[in-house]
Amino acid sequence: MTTLSDPERAAFAAIADILIPAAEGMPAASAMEVQGAMLDRILALRPDLAPAFRRGLAAAAGKPPQEAAQALNRDDGEAFAAIGLVASAGYYMTPAVRELIGYPGQENRPADPDRTPEYLTDGMLQQVIARGPIFVPTPPRRPEP
Amino acid sequence: MAQVQKARKPADVLIIGAGASGAVAAARLASAGIDVVCLEQGPWVDNAEFHGDKPEWELMAQKRWHPNPNVRDLPADYPVDTAASDVNPLMYSAVGGSTILYAAHWQRFMPSDFRVKTLDGVAADWPFAYEDLAPFYDRMEQDMGVSGLAGDPAYPPHRDYPLPPLPIGRIGLKAAAGMNKLGWHWWPGPNAIPSRDYRGRNRCVRYGTCLTGCPHKAKASTDHTHWPVALEHGARLVTGARVREITVNAQGLADGAVYIDRNGRESLQPATTVILCCNGVGTPRLLLLSTSRHHPNGLANSSGLVGRNLMMHPYAAVSGQFDQPLESWLGPAGQSIQSMQFYETDSARGFVRGAKWNVMPSGGPLGMRAAYGGKALEEAWGANLHRNTRRVFGRSFEWGIIAEDLPDEENRVVIDPELTDSDGIPAPKLIYRNSENTRRMLDFHTARAEEAMQAAGAVSVSSTKLMRDCGWHLMGTARMGTDPARSVVDQFGKSHDVPNLYIYDGSVFVTSSGFNPTGTITAIALRAVEHLIANRNQAKVAS
Repeated sequence: MTTLSDPERAAFAAIADILIPAAEGMPAASAMEVQGAMLDRILALRPDLAPAFRRGLAAAAGKPPQEAAQALNRDDGEAFAAIGLVASAGYYMTPAVRELIGYPGQENRPADPDRTPEYLTDGMLQQVIARGPIFVPTPPRRPEP
Repeated sequence: MAQVQKARKPADVLIIGAGASGAVAAARLASAGIDVVCLEQGPWVDNAEFHGDKPEWELMAQKRWHPNPNVRDLPADYPVDTAASDVNPLMYSAVGGSTILYAAHWQRFMPSDFRVKTLDGVAADWPFAYEDLAPFYDRMEQDMGVSGLAGDPAYPPHRDYPLPPLPIGRIGLKAAAGMNKLGWHWWPGPNAIPSRDYRGRNRCVRYGTCLTGCPHKAKASTDHTHWPVALEHGARLVTGARVREITVNAQGLADGAVYIDRNGRESLQPATTVILCCNGVGTPRLLLLSTSRHHPNGLANSSGLVGRNLMMHPYAAVSGQFDQPLESWLGPAGQSIQSMQFYETDSARGFVRGAKWNVMPSGGPLGMRAAYGGKALEEAWGANLHRNTRRVFGRSFEWGIIAEDLPDEENRVVIDPELTDSDGIPAPKLIYRNSENTRRMLDFHTARAEEAMQAAGAVSVSSTKLMRDCGWHLMGTARMGTDPARSVVDQFGKSHDVPNLYIYDGSVFVTSSGFNPTGTITAIALRAVEHLIANRNQAKVAS
C-alpha cells in the first residue's frame, strides 16, 4: 500500500483545486477532502495509479499549482491523467458532491414486471407496428459456382 | 519449457474455453451422459467481486473490469498486439467468458444476414438459413431468460420471450419519441437479463453496470445459466488451465491438449474429440500454434483461412444532451430500445448491408471524464468541469451503431513473433483495417442518428464515428462452409481437415451481421452439439 507524506497530500490538494475549483455553485476538491482518507482509499483500490501519480507530484514540487498542472498536461500525460482521475474519482465518490449533482449512485430500483409499459397504452409503439414488417425474407440460395 | 506431467484421465470430449459456446456445449454433452472435460484459462468469478453496487464502480471499471485485456492485464489474460489494428479486441477470461462483461443484448440475426451473397453480391452465404437456426434461437432465449417484447416487425414472427421486457426508462421514451417523429423503426430491446427471478438468478434491479459485471446475479452469464447444469451432470471443469497446443495422433486426429496450470506445470489432457470455444481471437491463435507433421501450417488450416476474415463490428456512437433530467445512469445496460430502420441494404446509400442501433444509459459522472485525455486544461477542467457535468450528467444518452463488418482475408489474427503471455505462449497479433464500405456505412448511420437525436429534442449532439475499444464481437476467423478450400469447418463446426475437431465459437461466422452475436453464437453451438450427440455413433474419434 502506498503511504503518502503530508507534503505530497498538500501538493495533490493544490493541483486538485486547479482541476476542480470552487465554481458554479460546486465546492473545490480540497474542501471535499480528496487529499485525505479518500486518497488512501482510491490508491488502495487502484494501486496501478500510484507510480504515475507520485511521479506527477514530484515533478510539481516547487511550482505554483496552475503552472504545475499545465506542465504535467503538456509533458507527462500519464501522470496528469493519474492525478486527474484520483481527484475526480474522489470528488464524485463523495456523498455531498453526489447530492449536489443529483446522483444517487447506481441504484437498486427494480421495476414492476407486471406493469404494462406506457408505450403500449399510449399508442407510441402502435405506430411502429402499423407500418408492418421491415425485414427481407430468406431468398432461395444462389448455387455456388 | 517444463516437462509435460503425467497425462490426466482421458475424456470423451474435451472443450477448450468455458465461455458462451463452451458452456452450452458442456451442458448438453454432460446432460446426454457424455464424459466431458473443459479447460478454462480463467477462474470462477463471484458476483460479490463486481463493483457495480459500490461508489468506486466507475473507478474500477477503468482497470479491474475493463473489457480490453491489455488494459486489465490480469494473470488470466493474454496480451494482444493491436498496433496494426483499427480496433481493440475486447474479452474476458473466466468461467462464463466474455458473458461476464457483456451487455446481454440478446439478438437474433435477420434472415438476410444468412444470404448476403445472394442478396447483395458480396461475401458468401451461410450454409444454413435463418429458419434452420430459429428453433435454437427459441431455446436459447428460454435457457438464458431473455426479457423482451414479441412482435418486432424487424423479424419474422417467433416464439415469445420467456420474460416481459425490462423498462426502457426516460431515455428510451425520449429516443422513441424522436423515432416516431421521423417514422422510423424502434422496439424495446431484448436483453438476457431477467425482469423476474428466473432459474436461480435474481430479477434485474437496474444497477446499469452490466458491462462491468452484475453485482446482483441477475444478468445471464453462462457461469450461472449453463455451468451448474453441466457440473451437475458430471462435466469436469479445470480452471486456470491455459492450453498451448492441441495434440494430434499418428492418423492426424486431435487426441488432446497440453495446458499449463497456475503452478506452471504442464499437463496433457487426452480426449477422443476436441471442441474449440476460445472466441474469434483465441481459437485461431491455438490452431496456428498447433503445428505438426500432418498440419505444418496449423491445425485445420489446409485452406489457409485460419485467422483470416476477422470481423469486429466497428461501433459508432451518437450522444445527445437534453435540457431535462433523464436519470440516464439507470439500467439496464443492457439496451433500452433498438432500431433496424436502416439495417437492410439500400443501394442508393452507396454501401451494402447496414447496422443495428441501440440506446444505452450513459453511466455516472466519472465515465464522462474518460474521453477528456489530452484536451486543454481549461477545456476539460476548472469551472468547465462543473458546467459540463451539470449540462450532460443524467441528461444524455447515446445511440450506439453496430456496423456490419464484411469479411476481408487481409483482416486477420496471426501469431506475434515476440509477444507472449505470462506462460511464455506466443500471443496473437491483429491486422485489421476498416473498409470503404464500412466508412460509408458509418458516415450514413451517424448522420441519421444525429437526425434522430435532434428529432428527440436534443439541445446538443456529438458523434464518435469509430470507437477504438469496441471489438466486443470477434468473428469469422475459422469460417464455416461447404467447400474445404474456402472454409475451415462445416455447418456443424466440424473441421474439414480433422474430422474429430470442432469449433463452436464466433470464429465460424461467415459474415458478421450488424447484431450483437452472442445469441447467434450460442444458437449455433446448441445446433452443432446436438448434431454431434445425435450422430455420435458415426463420428470419427481418436483412439
